[in-house]
Amino acid sequence: MTARRKTTKRRTKAYREFVSEAEEILERMRDDLSDLADRRGQGADVDPELVNRLFRSAHSLKGLSGMFGLDGVSELSHHLEDVLDGLRMGRTAVDERALGLLDESVALVAQTLEKLEEGEGAGLDEQAAELIARIDGWARAPKAEAAGEGELDLEPAMQRALTEYEEHRLRENVRRGRRIVVVEANFDILSFEEGLAELTAAVREVGEVLSTLPSPGETPEAQIRFSLLVATDFPPEGLAARLELAGGAVRPASRSAAAAAAARSEPAPGAADATAPAEAEAAPRPRAEELDAEAEPAGEADSLAGGDLASLKSISETVRVDIRKLDELMNLVGELVIQRSAIAKLARQLRQDAATARLGAELEKIHKGLERKLQELQAGVLEVRMVPLRQVFEKLSRVVRRLRRDTDKEVRLEIRGADTELDKLIVEELVDPLMHVVRNAFDHAIETAEERLAAGKPREGSIRLEAYQRGNDVVIEATDDGRGIDAEAVHRRAIERGVVDAGNHLSRREILDLVFAPGLSTRDEVTETSGRGVGMDVVRANITALGGVVDVASEPGRGTTVTMTLPITLAIIQALIVGVAGERFAIPLNSVRETLLVDPAEVQRSDGRELLNLRGEALPLRRLASEFSLGEALREQKQYAVVLGIGDARLGLLVDRLEGQQDVVIKPIQGPIRSVRGIAGATEVGDSGAVLVLDVSALVEDSRSREAREAPARRAP
Amino acid sequence: MERAAPEGPGQEASVQSILVVEDSATMRSLIASTLEELGPGVKITEASSGFEALRLLPRGAFHLIVTDINMPDINGLELVSFVKKNPAYAAIPLIIVSTESSERDREKGIGLGADAYLVKPFEPEDLRGLARDLLHAREEA
Repeated sequence: MTARRKTTKRRTKAYREFVSEAEEILERMRDDLSDLADRRGQGADVDPELVNRLFRSAHSLKGLSGMFGLDGVSELSHHLEDVLDGLRMGRTAVDERALGLLDESVALVAQTLEKLEEGEGAGLDEQAAELIARIDGWARAPKAEAAGEGELDLEPAMQRALTEYEEHRLRENVRRGRRIVVVEANFDILSFEEGLAELTAAVREVGEVLSTLPSPGETPEAQIRFSLLVATDFPPEGLAARLELAGGAVRPASRSAAAAAAARSEPAPGAADATAPAEAEAAPRPRAEELDAEAEPAGEADSLAGGDLASLKSISETVRVDIRKLDELMNLVGELVIQRSAIAKLARQLRQDAATARLGAELEKIHKGLERKLQELQAGVLEVRMVPLRQVFEKLSRVVRRLRRDTDKEVRLEIRGADTELDKLIVEELVDPLMHVVRNAFDHAIETAEERLAAGKPREGSIRLEAYQRGNDVVIEATDDGRGIDAEAVHRRAIERGVVDAGNHLSRREILDLVFAPGLSTRDEVTETSGRGVGMDVVRANITALGGVVDVASEPGRGTTVTMTLPITLAIIQALIVGVAGERFAIPLNSVRETLLVDPAEVQRSDGRELLNLRGEALPLRRLASEFSLGEALREQKQYAVVLGIGDARLGLLVDRLEGQQDVVIKPIQGPIRSVRGIAGATEVGDSGAVLVLDVSALVEDSRSREAREAPARRAP
Repeated sequence: MERAAPEGPGQEASVQSILVVEDSATMRSLIASTLEELGPGVKITEASSGFEALRLLPRGAFHLIVTDINMPDINGLELVSFVKKNPAYAAIPLIIVSTESSERDREKGIGLGADAYLVKPFEPEDLRGLARDLLHAREEA
C-alpha cells in the first residue's frame, strides 16, 4: 500500500464529515447487532440482509478510516469486517462468541475514535491488540461448511455482475432446495424507483432478492429494465400470479432452462443452434449443483416462464402518497366545510322570513345531506393520515435493548396499544419527546439491580409504554417502577434557582410539575437527587407545540408515570367561537369541558387571583380580554366561563359571548404575531373572515406555572 | 447524448463531466474534491447510490464514471454492467474504487468492461492520474 497523507490538512472539513459519518455507522451497527442478538435469542433464522448491512458498515468504516490515515481504526475495522464476512458468507455461525467479539470491536472502534477526538494518538493500545489476537484465534477455529464453489448454471450476463456475496447467497439458496427465478420488469428511466421498490417488496414476500440487475429497456433512452434474481419456495404456478409486473415476466434463471425454453419457442432450427454452443460448453463440465434442484419438467417451466401474462393480477393493494398531497386534500375539505357553514347560515336566514321559509327549509334539507357527506369525506381523509404508533414504539424498544447492552442495568420495556393511531405528522414529532422520557426512566429512575433487591423490588426494572384513545385524544403513558421523584429535593432546588418563592406553599402535584420548569430540569444536580428531570422542559415544549399536555405523577419508591395527552389530528377541529370586547376567537372543542354563565358576584378573589367554586373545586379563572390586552369588560356584567381541560388540568376562561360551534381548519399565521403565545393559528369562520384560534394547551400550561409561581403562602390542600 | 470531442488540444476550454457514485458521503466528497483539482473545466456530479446514478445517467453527458462496488441498492458491478450494455453510455470510461477485501469483485468489474480500478485507501494523485489518462484517451478517440 502506498504511503498516505496523514497531514493536518485533512483534519479539516472532510475530517469532521468523517467523524460524523463514522458515528452514524457505529450507531447503525449497534442497532443491527442488537437486532441480530435478539433474533438469535428468539430462535429466528439469521437475517442475511442484516448481516450484510453490518458487513457493509464495517467495510465503509475501514475504507474511510484508511483514507484519513487512521491506521488503528482501520485495522480494527478490518478485523471487524473479516468476522462479518465470515458470517455473511456462511463460513462461521452467528454464535455467542462471534456476537461478543463484534460487540467488543464496535465498542472499541467507538472508543478509539473518541480518543482521537480528544487529541490522543491514533495507534492501537494493548486492549485493541488483545482483541485483535482473540479475533485471529477465533478465525482459526474450525469453520462451518460453506456452500460449495461449483459452477453455477446461470445466464452468463447475470452471473458476471454478481458479487462474491451474492454468489454465496445464490449457492446457499440452491443448497436449501429453493427455486431460482428471474423476475423482469420495464420502468420509466426517470421514475423507476417507486415501481421497483413495490416489485421488490412483493418479491420479498415470496422469497429472497439475490441481485438487482439493471439493463437498457426496450427503448433505452426512456426505459430501464430490471432483472431480479430471486430464490423462492413458492410454487411457480402461483408466483407469476402473485407478482405485479409492469410489462415483465417470471422465468427460470438457469441457463439450460432458458435455452430450452428458447429452443421450444423458436421453431427455426437456426435459432436453436445459436444457443447450442453455450450449452455444449457447459454440459461436459461437472456441475456441483443444478439451479433447478431437479431439472423442472417442461410444463412447469413453461407456466413459470410467464406465458400467461394475462393472468397476472396485482397483489399490491396499497399506494404510497406524499403527505403533502394529503395536506392539500385536507385543506380543500376544510374550505368546503367553511362554505358549508355559509350555506347553513343562509338557510337559517331564509327560514326566518315568511316569504322564503319554504325555500329555506328545502335548502336546510340539502344542507343536512351535504353535511353528512362532508363529514364522511373529512373522516376518510383524516383516516388516510393515521398511522399506528408501532414504529415509534419499536424504535424505543431498540433503544432500550441497546441501553441494556451498553450498561449493566436490567430493564424490560413493555409495550401496549402500539396499534393506536395518530396523525402521521404528530407521530413523527413524538419520537424525540418519547425518547427523552424513556431514556430518563432508564438512566435515572430505574435503580441498579442491587438497589432494587435491597428495596425488595424485582431485580429487573420495568418501563411500560401504553397508548390508548380517549375521545378525541390519544393518551400515551410511560410508567416506570423506579425510585420515584423526590419532591422535597425538587422543591428545594426550585427555591434555590428562584423558580418558586420559598414562602409559597405548593401541593405535591404542583411541586412535581416543577420538573418541567426550564430553569430546573436541565440541572444535573436535580437528576442526581431526584432521579428525574433532564430536559423535561423540552419534552413539555414539544408536546405543547403539538397541542397536547404532559403531566407527571410519582410515588417515592414506587415509580413515576409521565402522561402525554395529544389530539388525534392537527388538521380539522371542531371549535367553539367566543366573543370578547368586539373580537372573536375559536377554542378547540375537544378541550372545552363545559360552559357556565357566571354572575360577577360568584367570582372569588384570593391574593389577586380569581377563582370560581365549581362544584366544590376551586377553578382558576382567566379573563380572555386581559390575556390579549383587549380592554376590560364591565365587571358587573354576567360573563361566560368556558371551562378548559387538558389531561387533569382545568382553567376557566371568561368571555363575553358564546357564538356557537363550527368546524375549522387551523392555518399557521405568518408574520409578526406568529409567535404570540396562546395563539395556535388562524381560521376562517363562515362569512366573517379570519378568527384567531386559541392554543389551549399553552394557556393551561401558563396558568399552571403562574399558579405555582405566584401563589403566596397558600394553605396546604 | 454523445458530446462531440473538442477540436485540437484545447482541453482547458471543454467541460469534463464526471459522475461519482459512492454511498459514503465522506468518501464521495473526498473523491469529488480530489477530482476537482484536475482543473477548472471539471464538473463533478455526485450520486449517493446506484439508483441515483441510473437516474442521473440520462441527464448529463458524462465523460467519466467513478464508482464504488459495495452499495446498498444495486452494487457497482451491476452499474458497470448496465453502463457497458447501454449503447448510449458504453463508451464512457469507468473507474472502480473499492477496498482490497473484494479483489474478486474488482476483477469481475474489469471483466464487465470497467477501464481501471483503484484500491481504497488511494493516493489522490493516483486517482487524478487515472482520470486524466482516461479523459484524455477518450478525447483522442
